[in-house]
Amino acid sequence: MKFTKLIPFVVFTLVAGAGTAQAQEGEAEERDKKGFLTGSFETNNIYFVKEDIEVPGQKTPDDRFGSNNYLKVDYIRSKFSAGVQLESYLPVIQDYPAEFTGTKLTNIYASWVDDSFSITAGSFYEQFGSGLLFRAWEDRALGINNSLMGARFTYNYKNYVALKAIWGTPRFGMEYDTGVQFRGLDLSLNISEMYGAKKSTLLLEGSVLNHYQSVPQSYENGMSPNVTGWSARVNYENGGFMAKAEYVDNGTNYFPNTEMSSEDPREFVGKRGNAQLLELGYSNNGLGIFLTGRRFEWMYSKFDRTSSSAANVYNYLPAVTMQYTYLLTNLHPYTPLTQDSRNGEIGGQADIYYNVKRGTWLGGRRGLKLHANFSTYYSLAGKGNARADKLMFRDFSADIEKQWTRAFKMNLLYSMQERNTDYGATAKTELAHIVVGDFLYKFTPRFSLRLELQYLTSKEGDKDWMAGLLEASFAPKWSIFVSDMYNHGNDAEANRLHYYSGGVSFAHSHTRLSLSYGRNRAGYVCSGGVCRIISAYTGANFAMTISF
Amino acid sequence: MVKKLLLTLVALAGFATLASAQMRLPNVKIENEKGELIQTSSLLDAKTPMIISFWSTTCKPCIRELNAINDQFVDWQDQADFRVIAVSIDDSRSASKAKAMASGFGWSDFTVLYDKNQDLKRAMNVNLVPQVFVVDADGKVVYSHTGYNPGGEAELLKEIIKLKK
Repeated sequence: MKFTKLIPFVVFTLVAGAGTAQAQEGEAEERDKKGFLTGSFETNNIYFVKEDIEVPGQKTPDDRFGSNNYLKVDYIRSKFSAGVQLESYLPVIQDYPAEFTGTKLTNIYASWVDDSFSITAGSFYEQFGSGLLFRAWEDRALGINNSLMGARFTYNYKNYVALKAIWGTPRFGMEYDTGVQFRGLDLSLNISEMYGAKKSTLLLEGSVLNHYQSVPQSYENGMSPNVTGWSARVNYENGGFMAKAEYVDNGTNYFPNTEMSSEDPREFVGKRGNAQLLELGYSNNGLGIFLTGRRFEWMYSKFDRTSSSAANVYNYLPAVTMQYTYLLTNLHPYTPLTQDSRNGEIGGQADIYYNVKRGTWLGGRRGLKLHANFSTYYSLAGKGNARADKLMFRDFSADIEKQWTRAFKMNLLYSMQERNTDYGATAKTELAHIVVGDFLYKFTPRFSLRLELQYLTSKEGDKDWMAGLLEASFAPKWSIFVSDMYNHGNDAEANRLHYYSGGVSFAHSHTRLSLSYGRNRAGYVCSGGVCRIISAYTGANFAMTISF
Repeated sequence: MVKKLLLTLVALAGFATLASAQMRLPNVKIENEKGELIQTSSLLDAKTPMIISFWSTTCKPCIRELNAINDQFVDWQDQADFRVIAVSIDDSRSASKAKAMASGFGWSDFTVLYDKNQDLKRAMNVNLVPQVFVVDADGKVVYSHTGYNPGGEAELLKEIIKLKK
């Protein structure tokens, strides 16, 4: 592994460089001279319990235990920093990508951030534009860490020009996949700054990304080992108004041939991916409006063409919809269509936020916060066009937040969700209406109770659900909760189950501990619009984070 | 194996706790409200302390905490001079939404920054949000807390008043 051999050398060079540069700095930097260590430790553990009754989709691992652990330590000394991340899966929690296994020093880096440039050697994270073309990031809840091992260089000339250059090999599970290489460039020109415009900001940006992987023998279809994609972007901002547009050409990637026949025996066929994104926003004086439109096809970017692991991805295609936080609103979150015949989508969403001021008729003594969202997504009618075909997902929601008295605060939410249940294979959809009431009462400055009451009604699928949650908080350290979701309307009596949960959390200074026990439904764990499918399980969770 | 790992962890944690007495605001690049990259060191003005709060559009407790600070901002300013930096860790997809949200919530007194590549989040070792820091005028981190319980924001004001000496 030539990359890993390079690291000590790089680290040494940078440390030595940092030392010399430090010695020349003036008194202002005196206090930084010693540098400091900082870091964090996170552990997530589940003990699985086997139930006597049948829970739909429930799986219990044989050894009943899963434990994901992360230790990150950084040394920072003024402009210099270096660090490592140690990960340990003892074993990995059920339904995480299976590539995470054992214990290893997975990430190591050294970096120097100066006024006009920065350089990072080792593992790093990066994204170009909105991430449609390229994103290397870590999301522990999803089991994604596709950081690159290599080098990243950034340079800026005043505020006019910003350049990023990257080269590296992606992390896949516990290893860096040395058979795969990325080379990329990203350029941002601040046009308004160049012409001295004061009021508005205009940025013109573009990226190029090359992905290399030697083609396996079995893929002989004239597949090229190099895939080059690019993106072009415009960002404009004036007063409270903003507009962003992005076009991505993802290059030609290979997808399973869905029309395989004796005339066309190719197992894989090349498809040129492309995406368009438009965002418009207006914010001023307590009003915020945000619109997004997006269309893409053949944008599923795997760095290793031979693996179907969820961890094997180098771009970011999240669901651009309302991201809910209440139990029943998240039973069936939308995930975009990226694979196989489900190759693309077209749709958009609109958000409006309004803060009704204190002292107005509607705002009352303490003001009122209003928010509404609408989103709708369709599959594509055919290749290379923008015609909508089948409805994949549609959602309307409205919520209000009202502080009635110093002690009492209320949130109300209504959501209507319609989703395609066949991933676009047919036009069949299911519709659900959900209402949520969330009430917070502060008994003393430190003690408060929060109650959530939720109801979902639907004529289809699992039909009606109800849910409740009660949380008691003793600020700033303790909180305890109990919750239950009950599928009382299910046609099958055996499936009219309670999904209960209860737990306690404690936070003090740099440490947070939480312990809970409950029955969890099969479904999705989502983070930032990207979801991971999990099996139903019953068990105890213990999590701890320490930062130092 | 596990024992060895634990020992290493304890040793590292202990070492780091000793060394971390002087954790400072790290210097990384981050986007401001206009989408321009600024360095975090430019936030320090050697006069006023800051509350740095990490939040995201999908984090309910984060929004509750920032709204609670916003509701009391004027009263707190009577007691001590300080600034609030709300660092959105939303990715590029939700960062524009975060902007609309910040305006809709009336956070006009806050400086909202967008840590799209999560460089500041990593440098400050934030694992869970909400996480809040109190940083003195010279950039020294004097207090931090993970998670939010209603009323917990009072601790922040206490720390800021302590800095007045």
